[in-house]
Formats: sequence, C-alpha cells, structure tokens
Amino acid sequence: MELAWAQEHDQYRERLRAILARELPSNWMQDYAHGRGTQGEIAFSRTFCPKLAAEGLLIPHWPKEYGGQDGDAWEHFILSEEMWTWGDPRGPQYMNVNWIGPTLMKFGSPAQKEEHLTRIANGSVIWCQGFSEPQAGTDLAALRTRATRTNHGYVINGSKIWTSYANGSDWCFLLTRTSDERRAISVFLVPMDTPGIEVFAIPGLVEEGHIHEVFFKDVEVPFSALVGEEGMGWEVVTHALSLERVGIPRYHLGRLAMDAAIGKLKREDRYGDPLMRAAAGRIIAKLEAARMLTYLVVDQRAKQQPANAMTNIARVSNAEAVTDTLNFLMEYAPGCLTSRDDPYLTLFYRYAITNTIASGAYELQLNMIAQRALNLPRERRQ
Amino acid sequence: MNLEFTEDQAVLVSSVENILDKYAELPTANRRDYHYYARDLDQALVANGFLDAVSSMGSLEAVLVVEAVSKIAPVVEIATSTLVAPHISAEELPRPLAIVSGDLSQAQRYLSVAKAALLDTGDDILLIDIRPGDVEAVDTIFAYPFGRFTTAPDLSKARSLGAAAVGPFRQWRQVALAAEAIGAMRSAVDFTVDYVKQRQMFGHALGLFQAVQHRLAQCHQATCAAQYLTYRAGWSGDPLDAVLAATYAQSHMPKLWFDLHQFNGAMGVTNEHKLHFWTYRLRALQSEMGGANEGALQAAERVWGKVA
Repeated sequence: MELAWAQEHDQYRERLRAILARELPSNWMQDYAHGRGTQGEIAFSRTFCPKLAAEGLLIPHWPKEYGGQDGDAWEHFILSEEMWTWGDPRGPQYMNVNWIGPTLMKFGSPAQKEEHLTRIANGSVIWCQGFSEPQAGTDLAALRTRATRTNHGYVINGSKIWTSYANGSDWCFLLTRTSDERRAISVFLVPMDTPGIEVFAIPGLVEEGHIHEVFFKDVEVPFSALVGEEGMGWEVVTHALSLERVGIPRYHLGRLAMDAAIGKLKREDRYGDPLMRAAAGRIIAKLEAARMLTYLVVDQRAKQQPANAMTNIARVSNAEAVTDTLNFLMEYAPGCLTSRDDPYLTLFYRYAITNTIASGAYELQLNMIAQRALNLPRERRQ
Repeated sequence: MNLEFTEDQAVLVSSVENILDKYAELPTANRRDYHYYARDLDQALVANGFLDAVSSMGSLEAVLVVEAVSKIAPVVEIATSTLVAPHISAEELPRPLAIVSGDLSQAQRYLSVAKAALLDTGDDILLIDIRPGDVEAVDTIFAYPFGRFTTAPDLSKARSLGAAAVGPFRQWRQVALAAEAIGAMRSAVDFTVDYVKQRQMFGHALGLFQAVQHRLAQCHQATCAAQYLTYRAGWSGDPLDAVLAATYAQSHMPKLWFDLHQFNGAMGVTNEHKLHFWTYRLRALQSEMGGANEGALQAAERVWGKVA
C-alpha cells in the first residue's frame, strides 16, 4: 500500500492547474453561475476543449491508435478532479471523452469510428445521452422509445427526459426498443438536427438550461446509425455505464464547498459555534472516507481489474457525504444560497440534488452492495 | 498510489490469521461470558513477534495486526502495546497496557489485566506500574475486561514519558482505537450477514428483504470506509488522518449497534449468540477520547484552524 502521489502525478496536476489558470476567463465562476447547460457554457466548451486537445489533455486516457496517450487511470482521474474544481469547463464533453468515445471504440463500426472518434478527440463536437424516459430511469430496460425497421433504416418514435445539454448537442447517443422483449434495446447515433426531433427545456431545481425533454416523431435514421447489432444495445449500454464507474469526484466538490462555507462563516465571525464545527468535522471525515474509497476504485481500474462492489460502496460514501454537506450549508450558511454571493456554493447546492439519483440511484447502489459484496439473495420482483 | 497490500503485508495478515485460527473459538466454559481475555493468544502473539510490527515493518502493518486480532470474539490487549507504546517510548513498556483517563476511581478498559497504565495529564504522559492488589475487576456487559484502582494511584511515583510524548500518544491512541473498531465492525457485520441468510421469517430468509439488505449494505459501506481511513492513518502518520479515522469509526458505531441488533432480534440479546462480543466492544470504544464530537472538533481545527 502506497498512498502518496507519484511525482509524475503531482507534476501532471500542476500542469493542469497552470493551464486552467491561463485559459479560464477571470469571470469564469460568475459566468458559470448561470448554470451548466447554458448556451454560454456550451459555447465555451467548444473553444476550451480544442485547446485541451492541443495540449494532449482532452483524451490522454484513450489508446494511442485513437489519438490518446495510453495514459493511466490516475491521470484521467486527476484531470477530472482539477476540471471539477472549476465546475468542469469541458461542459458536456466530459461524456464524449469518458464513455461515448470509448464505447464506440469497442462497438462502433469502422465508419462510425472514423466519423466520430476524430471529432470527439479534437473537442469539436457536443453529444447528449438519450437514456432516461419518464417511466425508465433507474429501471432503464423499461424504456419505450421505439425504433422500427424499414427498408431504408429505422423510424424512431418516443421521448427522452432529463437529457442534459440536449439544447446544444450535435449528436445523441440514443437508446431505443427494437422489440417487445425487455432487453431488446438498440443504440443509435442520431444527429440532433434530424427532422422530427424537438427539444424543450424543463425548469428544474438543478440549474438553468440543464434538464430537457426530447421528442422523436417519425425520426428516420439510416442503418449505419445503429451501433453493433440490432437488439444488442443492452451490452453496449452496460459497457458504457461501466466506464462511468468512478464518476464525478463528489468528495472533492464537497470539500471545496465546505472550505467555502467555513471561509464565509469565519468572515461573519460565526466560526466559534462548537456545534457547527463538530458537524463540519464529521463531514470532513465522511468526505475523506469517500475520497479513499473512490481512490480504491481508481486503483482497481488502473490495474485493469473488473468492476466490483467497491464501485457501489464508493458511490454510497460520496452520496452520503455530499448530502451531509448540503444539509450543513442549509443549516449554517443558507444566506449564500439565496444571495448568490458565492456562485460555487449556489451551484453546488443546486446541482448536488442529483447526487443520490443520477448514475444509479442510491438505493440501487445499496442493492448492488447487498448482492455483490454481501451475497444476499436478490429480492423477487413481480 | 497503490491501495493493494504489498506481498509482505499480505503475508503478515495471513500469518496472524493462522495463529488466530487456533484461538478464535471461545472455550466452552466461557461461551456465555460477557468477555473472554485470551492469555494464551496474547503469549502466542508476543512469541511470534507480532507486537513488534511497528519497529519491524511499520505502523500500517501494526494496524493490520490489530485489525485482524480484533475480529475474533476473545480479546487481548494489543492495540495500545503495538500502536501507541512504540511511538511514545524507546524502551519496551510493560504490558498488557491500560489507558486510564477521567475519574481514576471509575472502571477503566483493560485495567483488570494490565501490568501498567498510561495516563495523559495534559502536559505529560505518565506510566503507572500496577501490582497485584492495586486493581480489581469490574463486572460489565462491555466486551472487554474492565477494572478499577482499589486505592488511588500515587502519581508522584509514576514514570514520566515527557511532554514530547503527549502528541504522539493522542494521535496513535486514535489510530489504535480505529484499528480495534474496524476489526470488530467487520466481524459484527459478517456475523449478522450470515445470520440473516439462515434465519427464516414469513417463509423467506430474513436477508431476502430489501429493508434488511439496504441497512446491512450501509453497515458494510461504513466498515469499508472506516477501514481505509484507518489504513491511511497508519500509513501516513498524520495527526489529521488519525482523528478522521477515529471520528468516522465512532460516528458510525451507534448505527451498527442498532441495525445489527435489530437483525439478530431477540437472539442477539442473549449471550448464547456471539454478536455482543463485537457490538459491545464497539459501545465501549464509542465514548473513548471524548467520542465522535470531540474528534470532529479536533478535525475541524486541523483543517480550518482554531477559533480566533
């Protein structure tokens, strides 16, 4: 067991910080405060990501044959920590580089790889993920959007919801049903300007411009839009989700929020409250526990070990630590959430509501721990 | 960064587990006791050099030894001797070692079996020799031997370990507490998971019900989290890591106690069931060093500084 950062990882982090200091505008956090998913943020992503690509920092974890550097999982994760320190100025492109691109490497046709991987690698394209539906979120296999085979390709009808960045995306990684069998799911790569696609923003608790509903009405796509074989989408999406096994470094965001909140309480001469400090100390213990368990998952990934229950354990740890952080903000620093005098805290508070829902609900993670780590029987379902 | 055990660490854990296998079972005469102090195991651990883990391998390795020993139902005083003593004294201290605090007329953990006791006076650490007759055993349901002084110890005759020992004493006491806790937490969770797989209720194994599974999953998560914080504290030697490990473990002891006893039901209330050997050990550890709130205050001070 060696818990110190390697020298090259420290240097890598310093390099990232220097680039972020150079490339982010001085008013970045103020602009960012308008929300992930705004047109301004998406537009910034289109200029920022090509610069990262030019520095070799957009897809360092990709294989060299696809333009990457075969970088290790630790560098990939350090990149994520540093980007999220600033709300991730890559915007929607974190999805491209983390799982859409790698999924296409495994399942895409030669033509799909040729068309999409190069554009993802140079930071010039925005994708959204067409997964969740009103009746299919955590239970993804319940999705109803249907692709019907025709002589020329497929016709897609249905709707998706939640869809982050749908308002500014060029492409959608779309899950559809291609027969009535529960797991007969197929994945299509669909240009968002295809006739029949309509996007509507949904006001929500998260952020301005973040949540959308996307309707597909008689949307025609060619056979070449299908990823893999028809009906094999469950394998594709399972692989894609496994690439997200580490996810956002939420403990890191929580720590930044706690530092900001305590700074504010000190400035307001309210740091003396022992109840508040004890609550903060317990949260730090939880955040650091989540950090250690997340690092354990990264370590397993770096060693190319298969995913196991530690992924779910780390997610639960992060979820609980961030939830406690939210509660701390609400109890001890509610003013900063309404005055918007600290854009980071405001956004942290609003965005973190998804913490126990997105990327596999908290309860689903507990199910997985019970089954994969404790070998408890799976509860019968109707 | 590498979070896997090294080959040496894996061999160490395997070696200590081999010894523990011989002593893990409670003697028949002691199966219904509230605690059982395994003197034969104590001797075996000493004879095989496991109490010298800090000097021979390192503090993380000492954590691994304490964790492993704390998983079995019998107890031996190993955490203070292995993790605290080497950091506060170049000389070998007598053992078993108790740590006494607060009102010295009250019951103290391990005092009934101790050859010496350590006392934190605030600006010094005192070593109090204990002779036969100085202490008496105290009956308790907490799963450790407890004792109290029959007469107040004469602190003027205690040996001073010096002001420089205070900081390391407090830091490594927190690590020792956390290392004992993670062993007991793991065994308490594993014991209960085995039980709910067998116990039938409403025609199904109790462990089939999601209401049970989710809470056991939370207990398992808390145990894993405490475990890796404790490993980090042993590895780094950083006082912040030590207080975080102890605080996290102590914070989660009430949940484990409640959930695990709920799932063991009435069986868990009896001494015929072994659960109490771990859960009541956790209860004893829960309040040491001021408990989780005191640790949390220390953590906050180390992260954000003192109150102006």
